[in-house]
Amino acid sequence: MQVEKFYYDNRIVKNFAYATVIWGVVGMLAGLWVALQLVFPSLNITQYGSFGRLRPLHTNAVIFAFVGNGIFMGVYYSLQRLCKARMFSDKLSNIHFWGWQLIIVAAAITLPLGLSQGAEYAELIWPIDLAITIIWVVFGWNMFGTIIKRREKHLYVAIWFYIATLVTVAVLHLVRSGELPYTWLRSYTWYSGVQDALVQWWYGHNAVAFFLTTPYLGLMYYFLPKAANRPIYSYRLSIIHFWALIFLYIWAGPHHLLYTALPNWAQSLGVVFSLMLIFPSWGGMINGLLTLRGAWDRVRDDVILKFMVVAVTAYGMATLEGPMLSLKSVSAIAHYTDWIIAHVHVGALGWNGMLTFGVLYWLVPRIFKTQLYSKKIANTHFWLGTLGILFYAIPMYWAGFQQSSMWKQFTEAGQLKYTFLETVTYMRPFYAMRSLGGTLYLAGVVFMVYNLYKTVKSGKLVADEEAEAAPLAKDYTPHTGEHWHRWIERRPVQLMVMSMVVILIGGLIELVPTFLIKSNVPTISSVKPYTPLELQGRDIYVREGCYTCHSQMIRPFRSETERYGEYSKAGEFVYDHPFQWGSKRTGPDLAREGTGNLKKTDGWHFRHFREPSSMSEGSVMPSYPFLLENELDVSSLEAKINAMRKLGVPYEKDYEKRALTDLNMQSEEIARNLLSDSIRVSSKKEVIALIAYMQRLGADISKIKTATVNK
Amino acid sequence: MYKFIKQYAETMKDANIYPMVSLLIFLVFFIVLLVLVKKMKKEKVAELSNIPLDNDGQTDPTI
Repeated sequence: MQVEKFYYDNRIVKNFAYATVIWGVVGMLAGLWVALQLVFPSLNITQYGSFGRLRPLHTNAVIFAFVGNGIFMGVYYSLQRLCKARMFSDKLSNIHFWGWQLIIVAAAITLPLGLSQGAEYAELIWPIDLAITIIWVVFGWNMFGTIIKRREKHLYVAIWFYIATLVTVAVLHLVRSGELPYTWLRSYTWYSGVQDALVQWWYGHNAVAFFLTTPYLGLMYYFLPKAANRPIYSYRLSIIHFWALIFLYIWAGPHHLLYTALPNWAQSLGVVFSLMLIFPSWGGMINGLLTLRGAWDRVRDDVILKFMVVAVTAYGMATLEGPMLSLKSVSAIAHYTDWIIAHVHVGALGWNGMLTFGVLYWLVPRIFKTQLYSKKIANTHFWLGTLGILFYAIPMYWAGFQQSSMWKQFTEAGQLKYTFLETVTYMRPFYAMRSLGGTLYLAGVVFMVYNLYKTVKSGKLVADEEAEAAPLAKDYTPHTGEHWHRWIERRPVQLMVMSMVVILIGGLIELVPTFLIKSNVPTISSVKPYTPLELQGRDIYVREGCYTCHSQMIRPFRSETERYGEYSKAGEFVYDHPFQWGSKRTGPDLAREGTGNLKKTDGWHFRHFREPSSMSEGSVMPSYPFLLENELDVSSLEAKINAMRKLGVPYEKDYEKRALTDLNMQSEEIARNLLSDSIRVSSKKEVIALIAYMQRLGADISKIKTATVNK
Repeated sequence: MYKFIKQYAETMKDANIYPMVSLLIFLVFFIVLLVLVKKMKKEKVAELSNIPLDNDGQTDPTI
């Protein structure tokens, strides 16, 4: 058959590689900055630079900008070669590249401005969500176009991982982005309370699974054999790894919600599937590591293999730890603590970071037709990175255990031994050590930037790399009795559909019952919609990212009910769009902030927002002086009430017309309260609304001591 | 002691069936997968796993 000549597009790979490096530095800098803010709260500079707004910037930058561009870099390089075809369309490639960068820039602008939906890793506002959808379709179109015009009959396992990523991220993004816009920039999520929590952690968990894991496994299956120059240890194992992983991952989300108000059956389901996940995950890790069997001596000299070995090992550690953390008894200790922060950084710094660096060192010299500038500098980077991970993770593990046991400790008299604040001040040295780890890791990356810069300077980009291969025979007739998987390997569309079916089974069984069966969330008659002022205050709470440090979910443990009051019930959150249960307690839980022993005066809250350490000495919470200055924006109040009503919150007919009057009445009352506490402040300020919300938290069920549960 | 769990477990009829059905679906899926993978031919497996290692059709071996 006639061999065809064609050209691989290396320019797009180069673009994504540059973007990976640049956004990597930005994301890690943001991470280091927020880490330092927990040690030195005075680093919370202006409202645009407070922890609650920058922490989402860090997570979004690392996940979607650094790893996102890393995925596209690896996919655009490997897909072309595995398909023996140029990308389907240069135009689509460019739209994809620039579109994605614009989305990142938009995120970097909107998040510090406080434009946030208040859901972890899904903070971006609805217009950006829309843009992500469009660009993702462009990516998928380009990818499938390439696969369809390929010159290699079989789809190598890496491509299945790419396809599963494409499909699942699309499903996750669409479901999570279900939101009702009420202005051009703001919206409320369709889901409320428990349902929102379930959707969120189904999404959040699978963002880890299908954005940080499956595409990178695809990269592992391509670049590790390339770098080691030997085939993957077991191709059979890779098939099992793929199908079992995508099948199981999608079910495991509820392990983020153990001991919460989520229905118990959903919690158990999450635990069982999380445990089973060990097997495919370790299958994948073993497959990666055993690829180097008989070649381990090369790992000593080859810095790229070193990066990859640490990456795959970190993958193995994180995926053993994950299922362990999802056991209820372990979760009882680890949840809300810095243990989880350690866990995710083993994944992010170890697995994603180190694999990205390995791929960059392998690929950049090749597309520039040159040699890596300095192996020695790369080695330095490797050791800084590895030490950085250890210096980061170990203090955080330690801190997590310590924090948890301090929260749970009682005196002999049966009282809590430590105040929450004592546990906070105890954490500071650990936070400082963690920052050191982050600095080391980032220093390694700076070495890499220099090394890659010198490498690029020493070569010239082979923008269009010549290649040749025979086209696929059109009249291919399968021989009888051929293997099913060979059949599906030739059919990308069917492979996509099957992946979709596999992930939808888990998704549906997990999500649908909670949506359909009303009795899953027992309503509580005393739980009423927020007043207009409280609603405005809640929106400020979301805007400021308070959920990044405060939970609103008291678990049914004595150590928590003693500290915070009655454990949280599902029915308390039915009007919460979005839910704000949080996942981390850098500060105390706030679910009962407005009731019981925790209730404080309006004046206390006012002074605390102005300068937290004036009320709680040693607090690491940022000051919010701007809340005392900014006028509350009530221009969209009507739209908010209407939107909430559409979402099922029972505001009376035409209430939106009276809402402002009610709001003014309540805010004037709070201002009067403050005045009697010798605080003179206009009732129009934002802080008044936030105080109103604080005082409402948890108050509903205390109105009726014996809450009526309607079945 | 388990009141807080019972409350939710009881409000959904036959909630137990969900984990059971899920486990069953996965077991069947996994066993079928194992059998099918086991039946793959050795030569084919070798061919497939070598896909990334041929020279990508490159004409310039120095890259």
